[in-house]
Amino acid sequence: MIPRGRLASICLALITLAACGGRQSALNPQGPEALRLTQLGWLLFALGAGILVLVVLATAVAVRGPDRLRTLLASARTVIWAGVVFPVTTLTLLLGYGIWLTRGGGIALDDPAALRVTVVGEQWWWRVVYQHRGTAVATANEIRIPVGRPLLFVLTSADVIHSFWVPNLGGKVDMIPGRTTHLRLRADQPGVFRGQCAEYCGGSHALMALEVISLSEPEFESWLEDQARPAAEPATTEARRGQELFVAAGCGGCHTVRGTPATGTVGPDLTHLGSRRSVGLDTLPMTEANIRRFIRDGQHVKPGNPMPPFRIFSQADLGAIAAYLAGLQ
Amino acid sequence: MANANFRRIGKVLAWMAAGFVGLAAAALLVAWVGLFNVAASRGHWAIVDWFLAFGMRNSVELRAMAISPPPLDNPDLIALGAGHFHGGCAFCHGAPGIPVSPIAHHMLPPPPDLTTSMRPWADAELFWIVKHGIKYTGMPGWVALNREDEIWAVVAFLRKIPTFEPTRYRELALGDLKLSRQTGKELATVESNQQAAGACARCHGAEGTVPGSALVPILHGQPAEFLARALQEYAKGSRRSGFMQPMASGLDAQEIRRLADYYSHLAPPQPKPGTVDRSLVERGRQLATEGDAANRVPACNACHASTALADYPRLAGQNAPYMARQLALWRSGYHTATAGGAIMAPIALRLNERDIAAVTAYFASLRAARDGGVQR
Repeated sequence: MIPRGRLASICLALITLAACGGRQSALNPQGPEALRLTQLGWLLFALGAGILVLVVLATAVAVRGPDRLRTLLASARTVIWAGVVFPVTTLTLLLGYGIWLTRGGGIALDDPAALRVTVVGEQWWWRVVYQHRGTAVATANEIRIPVGRPLLFVLTSADVIHSFWVPNLGGKVDMIPGRTTHLRLRADQPGVFRGQCAEYCGGSHALMALEVISLSEPEFESWLEDQARPAAEPATTEARRGQELFVAAGCGGCHTVRGTPATGTVGPDLTHLGSRRSVGLDTLPMTEANIRRFIRDGQHVKPGNPMPPFRIFSQADLGAIAAYLAGLQ
Repeated sequence: MANANFRRIGKVLAWMAAGFVGLAAAALLVAWVGLFNVAASRGHWAIVDWFLAFGMRNSVELRAMAISPPPLDNPDLIALGAGHFHGGCAFCHGAPGIPVSPIAHHMLPPPPDLTTSMRPWADAELFWIVKHGIKYTGMPGWVALNREDEIWAVVAFLRKIPTFEPTRYRELALGDLKLSRQTGKELATVESNQQAAGACARCHGAEGTVPGSALVPILHGQPAEFLARALQEYAKGSRRSGFMQPMASGLDAQEIRRLADYYSHLAPPQPKPGTVDRSLVERGRQLATEGDAANRVPACNACHASTALADYPRLAGQNAPYMARQLALWRSGYHTATAGGAIMAPIALRLNERDIAAVTAYFASLRAARDGGVQR
């Protein structure tokens, strides 16, 4: 039996550790914007802690202290200096510092060097659109970015208010239907960072996550080049049958696979689904089994999502469709 | 003084309790020994008869109070109700030109002949009776309680039943079904086909004929896979319908296959020429061919074009009122238990009334293409 006090401290330590760990943490900044926010955060923590200590001391003095100090504490001068002048000065300085620190970050909205990525929040996924040589290249739930290049995220929403937040890279910005908001970021390290919708947006809000993968400049360029290509032809007989089924079963009514008759824009673009790391948002790793599961039983993976469950398929049919989709590299 | 009163009341209560126990024991004894005669042939005493009818009338009136009937004076609704009545009700209740079966007539109570002696029930009361049936009378409840739309069709027909001559009744109940004159041998070895109670064609039409009611789907040229699946779902009860479940439950797998093949090979009828609202049809065309991505509606043709999976129905040339009713059913949460319904129900919920009017008008104005679709 662990003593209750120790159990509590272990839990507290675990919670703290979980927050510091890694790929979804504001305490692990991976770019200049996140770094500045972390600096500001630590400064606030430190100041807050200092003030807390002072307040506790003052309380102790007020209750138990010698008469001389208690009289001083109760004097009008102490109230004016410590209760009015000090907070006004500190908060004004902090506000000014905060505004200065979180200024635009040097990425202008029309900066030609910046990579513009449009992200549309939808219940409950992220539509991600790049521009490549004048054509739109759509993908979903996964944003690949080049290390070191300024990034300009153009954010909007297709339905309700969402909020785009990748803690390792910067602050959160709301995605508001009918409006466009912007977020300027830069990643200084290659890595995989997790983002999360930070504004409650309905039943599966908690499952509305995404991954940001920062790559070296040449890796990113070749990835984008690949993404801009139309879909790969199915390689096996099974995958070919999968493609036939995909079209005949009406999947193309909602999903686009560029270069095929599937041109729907209701759901995510699947042209290169096989090259993504997850199925159904960040919820399931990309495997054929998980593709099958999402097609047949997506409502249990992500409850309330707009895709109907396709239980009309036999296991063989599902296998063929999954083989086709996983092959879309 | 007060004490004596209490004692007297206590004594009365004790006697009453003993009386109840005695009565209950006597009733149990009567049932146990078998003294009570359950014979339907014996009938009830007149006073019991009166009391039961009195209780039933009041029970129905009370329970029907909150029901408000939709408009019932619709020829499609009446024809739809007639089709079911002929197969499901006429055996016990008779119909114009069809007497109550002598077997049914010897039930207790004997079912009323609805052509001549229907009580003056209100629409809502008829609806309640058709929906729930009546205990201890043999009148069954509706097979699919959530299909109130079907029950109203029966009520619409019942309202008109006293006005129908036998020939008009046959037109409604049998549609354009032409029944050949059977030889003596046929009559002797099969049975009389004059009622054709189980014939699909009474409602759905067959070679060269179409459904008499626009609330009935045209099956001609639909993919056999789709038709067979629908019949299997009705037979299993996963797709609910008080009209179709009784019809499908009697069919075995081979019969379902043969029926589905038969209808899938029939030529679809030409769309009925009628006045169409051009702007409505244009909106329908848009929904059918492009969908409405902003409202998350995929193009209908992704699944319902002639080249789609053979598990899906084709909509070109289908009856608009039938399609509108199906969409309304999905919107009200009906039949999501079937694989096909689970796909369509969430999409139907994204359509508004005008979308439904538009898209059904568009498909009804098309000529059906005959194509098997993609086989799985």
